[in-house]
Amino acid sequence: MLENVQPKPLPEVDLPPLHQLGKPLRRVDALGKAVGATEYAADFSLPGMLHAKVLRSPVPSARIARLDVSKARALPGVACVLTGEDVRGAKLNTDMPGQTGRAARTGSDAPVLALDIVRYVGEPIALVAAETLSIAERALEAIEIDFEERPAVFDPHEAMKPGAPILFEPDNVVARYTIQKGDVDAGMDEAETIVENTFTVPFIEHAYLEPDAGVAWTDEQGVINIRVCTQVVEHFRTVARAVGVPQNKIRVRGTMVGGGFGSKEDVTVEIFLAFLTQKTGRPVKLVYTREEAFAATSKRHPFSITHRTGVAKDGRITASHISLVADSGAYPYLTPYVLLYATATAAGPYKIDNLRVDSVAAATNQTFTSAFRGFGAAQAAVAYEQQMDEIAKALDLDPLAVRRANYLTTGDATGTGQTVKSAAWLEETATRALHALGERTSDTATRKVGRGFASYMQSYGRIMWFHDTSRAWVGVEQDGSGVIRCGVPDIGAGQSNSLCQIAAEILGIPLHRMTVYATDSALTPLAGTSTATRQLYMSGNAVCRAAQTVRENLVNRAAVAFGVTPDVIDLAHGFAFVKADYSGPELEAALSGDGVRSIELAALAKLCAGEGIALSELAQFNAPFVDGLDENGQGDIWPDFTFGAQAVEVAVDTQTGQIELLKSAACHDIGRAINRSAVHGQIAGGSHQGLGYALMEDFRFRDGFIETPSFAEYLIPTTVDLPATKVIILESGTGIGPFGAKGIGEPSLTPAAPAVANAVADAIGARVHDLPLTPERVLDALDRAAEKKEKRA
Amino acid sequence: MARRPIRLTVNGRIHDVESESSAILLDVLRDLGYTDVKSGCEQGDCGACAVLLNGTAVNSCLVLAWQADGCEVVTNRGLGTMDAPHVIQEAFADSGGVQCGFCTSGMVIATKALLDRNPDPTEAEIRDALSGNLCRCTGYGQIVGAVRLAAKRLRDLASIPASSHSEDGRESQGGRGISVPDGQANGGGAGC
Amino acid sequence: MLPEFDLHQPANLDEALEILVATPEALPLAGGTCLLVDLRKRRCTVDTLIDLSRVAELRAIRIEESELVVGAMARIAEILDSEEVARYAPILRKACRSFAAPLVRNRATVGGNLAYASPAADMAGPLLVLDAVVELRSTIGLRRLPLAEFFLGPGKTVRQANELLTSIRISIADERPWAYEKLGLRKADAITVVSASVARMPSDGSARIALGAVAPTPLRVRRAEEELGIGTWSADAIANAARLAADEARPIDDVRGSGTYRKREVDVLVRRSLERVAEGGEADGA
Repeated sequence: MLENVQPKPLPEVDLPPLHQLGKPLRRVDALGKAVGATEYAADFSLPGMLHAKVLRSPVPSARIARLDVSKARALPGVACVLTGEDVRGAKLNTDMPGQTGRAARTGSDAPVLALDIVRYVGEPIALVAAETLSIAERALEAIEIDFEERPAVFDPHEAMKPGAPILFEPDNVVARYTIQKGDVDAGMDEAETIVENTFTVPFIEHAYLEPDAGVAWTDEQGVINIRVCTQVVEHFRTVARAVGVPQNKIRVRGTMVGGGFGSKEDVTVEIFLAFLTQKTGRPVKLVYTREEAFAATSKRHPFSITHRTGVAKDGRITASHISLVADSGAYPYLTPYVLLYATATAAGPYKIDNLRVDSVAAATNQTFTSAFRGFGAAQAAVAYEQQMDEIAKALDLDPLAVRRANYLTTGDATGTGQTVKSAAWLEETATRALHALGERTSDTATRKVGRGFASYMQSYGRIMWFHDTSRAWVGVEQDGSGVIRCGVPDIGAGQSNSLCQIAAEILGIPLHRMTVYATDSALTPLAGTSTATRQLYMSGNAVCRAAQTVRENLVNRAAVAFGVTPDVIDLAHGFAFVKADYSGPELEAALSGDGVRSIELAALAKLCAGEGIALSELAQFNAPFVDGLDENGQGDIWPDFTFGAQAVEVAVDTQTGQIELLKSAACHDIGRAINRSAVHGQIAGGSHQGLGYALMEDFRFRDGFIETPSFAEYLIPTTVDLPATKVIILESGTGIGPFGAKGIGEPSLTPAAPAVANAVADAIGARVHDLPLTPERVLDALDRAAEKKEKRA
Repeated sequence: MARRPIRLTVNGRIHDVESESSAILLDVLRDLGYTDVKSGCEQGDCGACAVLLNGTAVNSCLVLAWQADGCEVVTNRGLGTMDAPHVIQEAFADSGGVQCGFCTSGMVIATKALLDRNPDPTEAEIRDALSGNLCRCTGYGQIVGAVRLAAKRLRDLASIPASSHSEDGRESQGGRGISVPDGQANGGGAGC
Repeated sequence: MLPEFDLHQPANLDEALEILVATPEALPLAGGTCLLVDLRKRRCTVDTLIDLSRVAELRAIRIEESELVVGAMARIAEILDSEEVARYAPILRKACRSFAAPLVRNRATVGGNLAYASPAADMAGPLLVLDAVVELRSTIGLRRLPLAEFFLGPGKTVRQANELLTSIRISIADERPWAYEKLGLRKADAITVVSASVARMPSDGSARIALGAVAPTPLRVRRAEEELGIGTWSADAIANAARLAADEARPIDDVRGSGTYRKREVDVLVRRSLERVAEGGEADGA
């Protein structure tokens, strides 16, 4: 099974070749990073700058009985100590971050500094700013604090039982959803077999290499500037509200981010810095330690997901009932939305007419959970794809055959009744990923080889009832070089380069002659969050619009110059030229010669400038706006979906339980590649995170205390742990992003972990239901399977 | 605790700096302005702080400043600049091996150390040499490609013939061309 | 940040030993890859460190008559590169390959690894099955003892406050077939979950078996060795010895694995290693 799989033929797609778009050109940010010139958030200092530290709770659940900062305040060199009293009422993360036309409050706001109750290890209690980091650390040690332990709860199921300690009024339930369509009972009656399984996934740490950091200062206009690594420039509004100043008195200058993956979507250091600079009147720097980044920034939601599926003999799903329970940690943050994503995608990319999904998220005394690449849909995929394989096993069918019997296609409706409008190349991607595994490796006496794959659906673009918008400014300078101004945060995936490459294509400017100014809430048009796989779609489309307008102006003027109609003019290689004058492969060389009617963009730009023809444009792109789901959880949620698959081959040592990943292949339909190398990087990198999720990552608590506080205990893959994933990029051109692009940032991660879980189950003939697939869990599963066999014998 | 002046030669430039006995090289370098040396974990697990100390790649978070007294330190910036990037740096930029870039300086240093010893490494040797440098963005594939590309370009510059295992790796089109050859001499020296 | 401490940087061994006498609470600093991390995390406190990185006498790897002498300050990377070690102690070389990661190997030292005395000390198992002897020096003199007598408990050794571990000595008189296996949760920079080192004496076929990370100290499992006796090792003897080794192991539960799993894997790793050695042993490739 899962061998000699032939790729399903692709339909004809006519994607006209472009000059620069799609090519694996060197990214505009690459060289600065490669030579160590790029200055990240912690790399910046100002004269007279103070150094800040945060006092954090060492216990998971307590009342602060006594807090005495007087000795700390008295230390020479300490400029400021703030406690919950000093910032009373200020909240972290209130509204849905980013560019939203409508406020969507999550409902419960974490205090900036704990006032009397601490709810998780790492919760901030006090802030110190001092002349040196060393003095700041001594000041922390000089703070006297007594705790009265309070009851605590560490499991969401326990948290929802009567009598549980309450973190979130009235009953610890942070969010709850139900989706239903059709008639599940009837569907179950119709089934040949009913398959039921529960799968769990743990807390996961983002483990970006750059610890959260920032510097804040007040400028000559009284504006508090915050230079910070963030995925959301629009946090300036939250900061303004917290420190009590107008929104135009906070300026967020986002830096190149050293990895975010959702963790830097939350407010991290910004409000602390704003308060400290406000109180001291001096610049202040705060850099988290790795341990702080682990303890005090968000984690991926643990989930327990139960599937009960009725299936016909041919593998077709007749009914599905899915229940999800998520751990919200100590404060809600984005839990309601993560839960929504998980609920809406719980059934997977399959046509299911009779569906019910019930989900709930409850609070516990552990680090708060929030956004992490995949945002609930990744967790959902771990469950639904394992369930599909279990269905195949129960029916003695090929796992691919079961998928084929159920895959969504274009025009079908999802679990919430949203029609899939773009290409849904599920079988196309699954078969290609499997095919890329090649010949199956043979078992040995102690190593069993297994294969598995996972298909998935992952949205790109935000929930449409947020009324998402983005804007960008594109301009051509008088020497023909190009400028983009856009609020987009670049978190490493090439967000800013993509915009440059799009504008470069449309304007005919070589990519290396584009400069982008980004991520400044004061100076660059606001473009919303770098989250939800939305930037290429939203800001890419905004850039497209702006660049198109400028292009038209240039083309029209060039047409006048040559006495032709605009439709015969093209822009490329820094020239405007008459297309028909040359159709060979050496266009760039030809443009420098005499045979083509052409004008250098520099000259054309000067002409336009002299005649008052606009050489720049600010454009806004709006996502579709809808209103929300009905009482049955039915309605459209996202603008569109990306579909794809990952396939892996593993070898399991049946005596040690160790899993070796032998081969990995991923195939995604990304609509249209803006930069092929960047797409490859996203798929390779996202899948790598997903492989780590399956095999070794586990952010562990014991009674609320963190057992994995640093990289020594929390393991992410190194260069020698996993083979490179073979990347197969498909372009259907049916995305609603620029040039038919979809999104790949989150989708790249989603299928990896379930593919591994399925491969391991195939190898050992038994399922490990809980991630990560540790050697102990593998041996446990083998032991149980052996016991079962003995009983039957 | 004591303070004393120490002499660090960083990227060829001499720094005489007062340093405390418990100061770590990472912090001293960053305070001197070498912010390309990144702090990722302060305990030797991530490699973001890697520098060459008398030619040997080490985690600067685990070297006391006084231990580096009299030594030569090379950071990523010491290998090349935007105007004159090192072959290794260009290869990283050309191969998609740079995403968020935070691990990149450490990766370049580890690569330099590898290629100084072994100009024609196998993929396994590359992965082993970089196994102390964590990356969370790339999945390492394009970083390995960058190292292979750098190795090839360096060999071409030095006219070293290829062995059977060296291929072009994944070359990226559209780069900016080959840059200044490797002219960095390795310091010798005792005791660091 | 590190806590504040004084730092001495002796230029030679005598100076280092005198400082130990003058400041008995001082801790020797070898590679720093464990000690500095502990200090940063406030797992221990110290007022004074003695940096041994300038004491050249401690770094040499050399042959002295019939012994391979590895200086305590020899870096793991240097041991990996050493031709003498490759020739006379290839099991040690293999353990160096999977020790932490390259950047750490360039600083960590064999003496530091032994003196830090983690139950998982990766250099210990291979050295135990080579019957290594450690040398301790003080201003008063020197003493040598089998490595097997060096460890007292987690983080505790027989080294007195006024002594330095100066070298590790391995007989080169025989060439022992060997096997070494380390289980970790990933393939690089992974603290050992279980390790097994096995060697066979060419003189009489007796076994040396040492375990890591499954007891308060690195452990020679004598009852398992006795089970194999001398001469050829039968399949039954191998299986029994592996089981006895698992019985002798006293692993704890921790974040990396349960005691039950570790005991089980002792049996597996020891059996595999014994089988490999019975077939001629491993060869550590270049």
